[in-house]
Amino acid sequence: MTYALRKLGMLLLTLWAAVTLNFFLPRLMPGSPADAAIAKLSQNGPVSAATRAAIEAQLGVPGGNLLEQYVHYLQQVVTLDFGVSFTFYPEKVSDLVLTALPYTVVLVGIVTVLAFVIGTLIGVLAAWKRGTWMDTLPTLGGSFLSAFPYFWIALLLLFFAGYVGHLFPTSGASSPTAVPEFSLSFIGDLIYHAALPALTILITSLGGWILGMRNAMINTLGDDYVTFAEANGLRGRTVALKYAARNAILPNLTGFGLALGGVVGGSILVEQVYGYPGIGYLLYNAVVNQDYPLMQALFLMITVSVLIANFLVDILYGVLDPRTRR
Amino acid sequence: MTSTTTPVRARALRGALRTVGRIASTIWSNPRARIGVVLLAIFILAATFAPWLAPYGASQDGFERSAGGSAAHWLGTTAAGEDVLSQIIWGARVSVFVGFAAGAIATVIAVLIGLSWGYSRGFGGEVVGFIVNLFLVIPGLPLMIVIASYLQNGGIAMIIAVIVVTGWAWGARVLRSQTQTLRSRDFVTAARFAGDSSFRIIFREILPNMTSLITGAFFGAATAAILAEAGLEFLGLGDPTTVSWGTMLFWAQNSNALLTGQWLLLFAPGLCIALLATSLTLINFGVDGISNPRLREGKGR
Amino acid sequence: MKKFPRRSRLLSLVAITIATGLALTGCNIHIESKPDPTIPQDTLLLAADQGSPMYQRNFNPFMANRRIGAAYIYEPLVIVNDVNGDVTPWLAQKVSQPDASTVMFTLRDGVKWSDGKPLTAKDVEFTFNMLKTSPTLDLQGIWQYISTVETGTEEGNQTVTVHLKSADVPAANIIAQTLIVPEHVWKDVKDPGTFTDDNPVGTGPFELGNYSPQQYTMNRNETYWQKDKVTVKHLILPATNGQLAMVTQGYDWGYMYMSDVEKTWGGANKYNRFWFPPGGVISLQPNLTKAPFNNPDVRQGIALALDRKQIADAATEGSMQPATQAGILLPNQQADLDPSIPNGGVITQDVEAAKAAFARAGYHEQDGKLVDASGTQLSFSLLTANGYTDWLRAASQVQRQLSALGIDVKLTQPQPPAYQLALRNGDFDIAMGAYGGLGSQYQDLNGLLNSSNFRPVGQEAPSNFERYQNPAVDEILAKYRTSLDPNETRELGYQLQHAMITDLPVISLYYGGSWGLYSENKYVGWPDADHPYASLKTYTPTALLIFTSLTPRDQTEDKK
Repeated sequence: MTYALRKLGMLLLTLWAAVTLNFFLPRLMPGSPADAAIAKLSQNGPVSAATRAAIEAQLGVPGGNLLEQYVHYLQQVVTLDFGVSFTFYPEKVSDLVLTALPYTVVLVGIVTVLAFVIGTLIGVLAAWKRGTWMDTLPTLGGSFLSAFPYFWIALLLLFFAGYVGHLFPTSGASSPTAVPEFSLSFIGDLIYHAALPALTILITSLGGWILGMRNAMINTLGDDYVTFAEANGLRGRTVALKYAARNAILPNLTGFGLALGGVVGGSILVEQVYGYPGIGYLLYNAVVNQDYPLMQALFLMITVSVLIANFLVDILYGVLDPRTRR
Repeated sequence: MTSTTTPVRARALRGALRTVGRIASTIWSNPRARIGVVLLAIFILAATFAPWLAPYGASQDGFERSAGGSAAHWLGTTAAGEDVLSQIIWGARVSVFVGFAAGAIATVIAVLIGLSWGYSRGFGGEVVGFIVNLFLVIPGLPLMIVIASYLQNGGIAMIIAVIVVTGWAWGARVLRSQTQTLRSRDFVTAARFAGDSSFRIIFREILPNMTSLITGAFFGAATAAILAEAGLEFLGLGDPTTVSWGTMLFWAQNSNALLTGQWLLLFAPGLCIALLATSLTLINFGVDGISNPRLREGKGR
Repeated sequence: MKKFPRRSRLLSLVAITIATGLALTGCNIHIESKPDPTIPQDTLLLAADQGSPMYQRNFNPFMANRRIGAAYIYEPLVIVNDVNGDVTPWLAQKVSQPDASTVMFTLRDGVKWSDGKPLTAKDVEFTFNMLKTSPTLDLQGIWQYISTVETGTEEGNQTVTVHLKSADVPAANIIAQTLIVPEHVWKDVKDPGTFTDDNPVGTGPFELGNYSPQQYTMNRNETYWQKDKVTVKHLILPATNGQLAMVTQGYDWGYMYMSDVEKTWGGANKYNRFWFPPGGVISLQPNLTKAPFNNPDVRQGIALALDRKQIADAATEGSMQPATQAGILLPNQQADLDPSIPNGGVITQDVEAAKAAFARAGYHEQDGKLVDASGTQLSFSLLTANGYTDWLRAASQVQRQLSALGIDVKLTQPQPPAYQLALRNGDFDIAMGAYGGLGSQYQDLNGLLNSSNFRPVGQEAPSNFERYQNPAVDEILAKYRTSLDPNETRELGYQLQHAMITDLPVISLYYGGSWGLYSENKYVGWPDADHPYASLKTYTPTALLIFTSLTPRDQTEDKK
């Protein structure tokens, strides 16, 4: 019990520190949100002095000294009200985040689960058929594919499957004219639009799961109890799945926990290339436009989800391996 | 004094050499790792001898713009009229250097922090754990972007700094777990009873037992660094005037190489990044076998 | 165990990958425009608005974040052609200036809001006053000129008279470009500063049709006051339109830079056209409060040392030309140029003259370095913004060309917001910067040169970032403000051009482009070099000039 309590205390402390860092980090960036907005405008042509002044007034340089801003920010964190975004002024941060969140959670969430399941299964198979082509092909192919920069895979897929092949839509999460509703055709439309981004994430993340599971599995296959089970005449498949795989999956599971926590923050480049209206795209916009309110809300969300995943993993470790509790 | 210490040192040196030799031969005995080593060697040679290998200078321009492949320019030219093949060869320098430098620095930090964190019990450990967790929970790429825009004046050093700052925590966490396991082993307990200092126990008793893990962590960190460098430069956060595979991708995207049919410009740097990163992953297949004989090739069931 | 087969398999895997790569690169992929067949002939597909990646519904025309469609819904009193400064009366049929501090707008008769109510002088007065009470919406800063506004009638026409704070003739056009909104809709808005105007009511040629976060359509306003001139019936504005989409998906009009435009955009469809008139001057802006840049001879030396053709080619991949030093855009403003200026004011590279200028400033060559009397090399950092790739390429050329003379140039390229900050605070040696392109010589150069915009280093300047102070130039600008005589203003313009050339407050390099792409597949009558009646910007009121000029292309020849 005290173990869990201590971990909870650590969790709260880390949360506070992360929240504080989230406040200060964006403010380290030189230039104000108004500078960012003007910089964007001036790419189209010179910006007059009056326009500059009006934009500054519109976006407002954050008022008060740093301490006042910090206190105000902590209040916002507690009430989960992050005010108005600079980039999408006068849109509210909470509205923006709530619109974008489902897209990312569903797209990246489902793909992460898929990659984990497929990768783990292939890993088991590879370890079991070690030394045959069923081992060589997935492990080498997986590590080769995961070595590509994923924005690069995204660009090429978009170009060939989208623009040249006309197989998939080139941007967006649904057809421009589609009406959001709970119908088969709309869900089909969503899946059709999510296919390329999903494929990109799947291709680049599969390798890691395959290798992790294969290595863990080979390890357990050599353990005494597996040998013992085999010696007792159990069938190969039973040994592989019931004994070895069940034990070998533990380290992969902890990684899975962390990966799920990282879902929200891990999709920036892919969403950007595919113009997918999720959290990653929102975050990229927030960062390049120095949109403090939006950045803070998103950083907080990512931090909290990773922290919770970390916490659960820590607890899981404690349960599975009593030695680490000391 | 000297007469007694020198043989000890010599023995230690011989021991270290033997360890390195053992690692090298284990890696080489793995056919996948062997291919990785060969691939890596090719890239390192290309990077080292770029001035002799490359037909033109890296940013030498004035050639026909956006030209296709020809005898004079095997891989064509860029939209600014530079030779693509020369840029690929010169670009290897940056990727190889950033990969190894950032990988090495991140690994050193991870080793120092991971080992002391795993060994110490009580308050000190909690504090280190707190810092590591902090770095683990802050989203990586956005953090990189923020740091990169803070450390304005681009360049390789900044890229390395950004990658190191955001990349060391994971290794530290992994090494800490291993240290915790080793901490309760008999030989560590024995050393502690013999009155050895913590520093000595950590770096003389525990560290040598983690060579393979650290080597693996290094190759992993180097792979991540190569990919991170490409990503940062692709986003335009590096110095676009230096020639590297990442900036080549940036310029290719900028001048829309896919539209102008110059798409070797996009394809070649990406393939090189992937091959370099793969070579390190392949080597790691061999490294896995050092600490864990079960993973060695040819000794399967 | 089976070592060799496995390795050969691996090798073949690698070989196959490389072979596929080479095979793929060998074949050339031709990109073709594939227009959506469901889009009818009377409908234009515009790459005008950009969601990120989805649209926020905001048609408030005074907000930086507005949907671009607001520019086709709301109209100004006059439209200024940003190419050459020509003025077209719009909602005002006449603009008169009885004296230099009064502007009178005579409203056009019979203009209706899209909800059927007539446009009145009260609407204009309301709009001006609203911008006073909601200053954050005053993007053109009209209330820095206006003292009071009153309405009246003249010969049966409604008028709006604006009294200025002081004599300021050029201010009339700035005020006149204000978009006018209906009082009967906007008077009930509590805070116009955060009003998103979801269902806009305007006087313009188009009304909002179907709206979704990924695209919206606009339909012709059937009660538009020049309905007979508008033949385009519908507009479609998708939220995402990169260069690839622009080329492949059959767009009719877009405003974006396109690499190798003749091959990419031009090659995709035989009706695709482009027109890239100068849209601004990209220049070196030396910090005039710092030595040695406060020395005109040093600026002269730098100006003469540069090969502008090479810089322009590198920066714009050959699309744009070297810029004149006269402070205007050529050929757009050819009519304003003093004919006595040789070569149109374009400075050509003259290394010997440059060395002479540096010698006058006390620099000489030593071991390949340009050093001053104490032996210190002339060196400076050149500030540009990260991600402005054309500027970066130009800056690299400048660096290369100046280093040939022994000058040490370092490039600094912070992120755009940090670049803006450095510019405003004067925290730079020499900066890349743009000026001009508003269509009016006075407006362009007043911002650049007027010492009222001067701030010491460390304080944020509104413009005049190079921190230029010259009483003689201030006097020319002051005279310009009070003069109603076109002959006098032309003469004053000449004087400004000479000041730019002799004093070199900024060193012009090349023209930034106004990147217009259009297709004559459905409609003809677009502006081009022979008909420069507007630029092809999609987001300014000049778009209204284009919509009222387009006519359907004669399709009969297609059928043959």
